[in-house]
Amino acid sequence: MSGSDLSDWHDVIAVAAMEKGWVTAATLGARRLAVYDTSSGIYVSLAACTHGGANLCDGYFDGHVIECPWHQGAFDVRDGRAISAPATRGMKVFEVRVEGGMVQIRL
Amino acid sequence: MTEVITPLTQALAEGKLTRAELRGFMQRSDALAFRHLGLWLLVLAATSALVWLALGTWWLVPAMFAQGVVMVHFFSLQHECVHYTVFRTRRFNDWAGVACGWIIGLPHQFFRYEHCDHHTHTQITGDDPEQVPLPRTIWGYLWYISAIPYWRTKIGEIARHAMGRLTAAERRFVPKVAETTLIREARVMVVVYALILAAMLAFQWAGPLWFWLIPLMMGEPVMRFVRMTEHVGRPTVADMRDNTRTNLIPKPLQFLCWNMNYHAEHHYAASVPFHALPRLHAKLRGYVHVEPGGYIGAHREILAQILGKRPRADQTPVDPG
Repeated sequence: MSGSDLSDWHDVIAVAAMEKGWVTAATLGARRLAVYDTSSGIYVSLAACTHGGANLCDGYFDGHVIECPWHQGAFDVRDGRAISAPATRGMKVFEVRVEGGMVQIRL
Repeated sequence: MTEVITPLTQALAEGKLTRAELRGFMQRSDALAFRHLGLWLLVLAATSALVWLALGTWWLVPAMFAQGVVMVHFFSLQHECVHYTVFRTRRFNDWAGVACGWIIGLPHQFFRYEHCDHHTHTQITGDDPEQVPLPRTIWGYLWYISAIPYWRTKIGEIARHAMGRLTAAERRFVPKVAETTLIREARVMVVVYALILAAMLAFQWAGPLWFWLIPLMMGEPVMRFVRMTEHVGRPTVADMRDNTRTNLIPKPLQFLCWNMNYHAEHHYAASVPFHALPRLHAKLRGYVHVEPGGYIGAHREILAQILGKRPRADQTPVDPG
């Protein structure tokens, strides 16, 4: 592990604390994050919808798609792409790894 | 970013709903959607059969009205599709929503953007693009229910979009990147409707008149009557506990409108599918405004306000504190 790795990776949430097959809320400092448990792994994004700012952690999650609870705009959690109106801008997603039972993201 | 307070976050924060319960309510099902849709289309087939049997007789008038009452409830299905709460498979909602929009003359993409803004600014005068103002007079009330102003607005809207123009008010909720899509959508609609009209004239084809267009015109006042019960006569404030009305109506009507009579619950958690709204209603009992008299009860309230027998809800003083 490089020195850069040590400073860039941050604990977000214990894997055991995540909701299975669903989205779980987490925070890192001032950042509100959404952590997704999917069949292809764990993904993490900022929790605010890029359309109206609602909390995506209260949204409907299915497969790899998170849907905003307010207007049902939707994003692919793998790359943050907006896939459904009224969301037009993608959401910020983070590089993720699991170390010692903790979900970590790279800043 | 500061957390945005939505009706849902309010309900969660006030402990009326837990996130675990919300997860349960939000689960979707293609099977339940197809079952409801299948039965719903059977009802439409039955009224279409009535129209067919009544052709050439005076029974055609009530038969077309019955057909129209069912057809205008394509709006309810389209509305659910806007929220992706009919089918679990997202693209099925898109397909069904577009189809409904073709039948009732409501471009689906445009409606989606407009309706989202309605959920952001529910009942806020000047901001809610779908707000139906509480009429000032009985004539204003009847004028709205006639659906004449509705059709005038909608036909004008499609024509304007087909000409590539959006109003300043529309640009508040339509992102720049979506304008081309909405303009193309309106143009395709105009062309296809024109082709259908041309075919009707060229081949003396009257079927669309008896089974579609006249029933739609006859039925739309019923949909205006229904739509008024959702917010008209409720306070023009941001609080969802006050500004929206749930109407308790007979099961057949509930079936026809895809449970959208549970309108306050829908505004609280718009990701909850139609089949879960009765359960959400039970959960939110006492938390939202419910009209036990249903559509008729809501219109009694609206008329009482118009006639000055009760205070007008659009003049409700806002608590400054």
